[in-house]
Amino acid sequence: MIHEFVTKLDQTIGLETAKAHCDIPCGIYDPIVAQINALTVVRMIDLMRELAEKDAEKGPEFYNSMARYVAVKEEHAEKAKHEVRVIWGDYIKPAHLEKYPELHKLVHDIMQMGSASRQTADRVTAVNFVEAINKFAEIFWDTKGVATKRAKAPYAPALEMVYPDL
Amino acid sequence: MLRLLKVSGDSLSPVLKNGDFVLIAKIPLLFKFLQRGDMVVFHHNIHGTMIKQVEEISITGESIMVSGFNQYSVDSAQFGSISKEAIIGKVIWHIKRPDST
Repeated sequence: MIHEFVTKLDQTIGLETAKAHCDIPCGIYDPIVAQINALTVVRMIDLMRELAEKDAEKGPEFYNSMARYVAVKEEHAEKAKHEVRVIWGDYIKPAHLEKYPELHKLVHDIMQMGSASRQTADRVTAVNFVEAINKFAEIFWDTKGVATKRAKAPYAPALEMVYPDL
Repeated sequence: MLRLLKVSGDSLSPVLKNGDFVLIAKIPLLFKFLQRGDMVVFHHNIHGTMIKQVEEISITGESIMVSGFNQYSVDSAQFGSISKEAIIGKVIWHIKRPDST
């Protein structure tokens, strides 16, 4: 209860953060965070399209919902980019780059696609964004010697995702 | 005097976890009572505002070694001791996340 109250206070006034950080964040890296964020971008585009089709009058409720979808799309595209950058910058080592020489270009492509997914409501771009991060995930898990599998996400938009096959 | 901060990172887990809040006392007098094991918030030129555990205090009390609870912690093992002037406050109250055990 106290934590809930302080969390609201933090959301309102923005408390300062005290870092208890690790140089390798406790060794925990997982591209699934980026994958889910990218998937959310596609979901928001789908919701934007559905709303535009069904609400022809475009009253205040339309603009309110549309603004929220756009805001979430913006936020999650940027989060996906951030998560990929952290793994790329902190985890990926020269030995990985020797084995996967395409990695730099792939990460750069992801950054570009993430930005394009913010700038537009183009579903194809967003789906490509998801797939590029899937490829990044495959490489990431391979560096750890973990096999991967592809399966449809168990929630809309149910795109194919790469998961560690544990 | 008192300051509320949010903890980010898990180098002090399981005592302090990411998303917990801490209340720190900024009363200078308290520094005299700083001892090994205390949780302190301090300023670091590169890393900014950090929170770690006091590992060791020099005889003069001028410098303090701080540490985390795991091998990956960014602490005095990497950046050396911190000066007592860098200390912002000592944790006097800890508000755990509801899902923390």
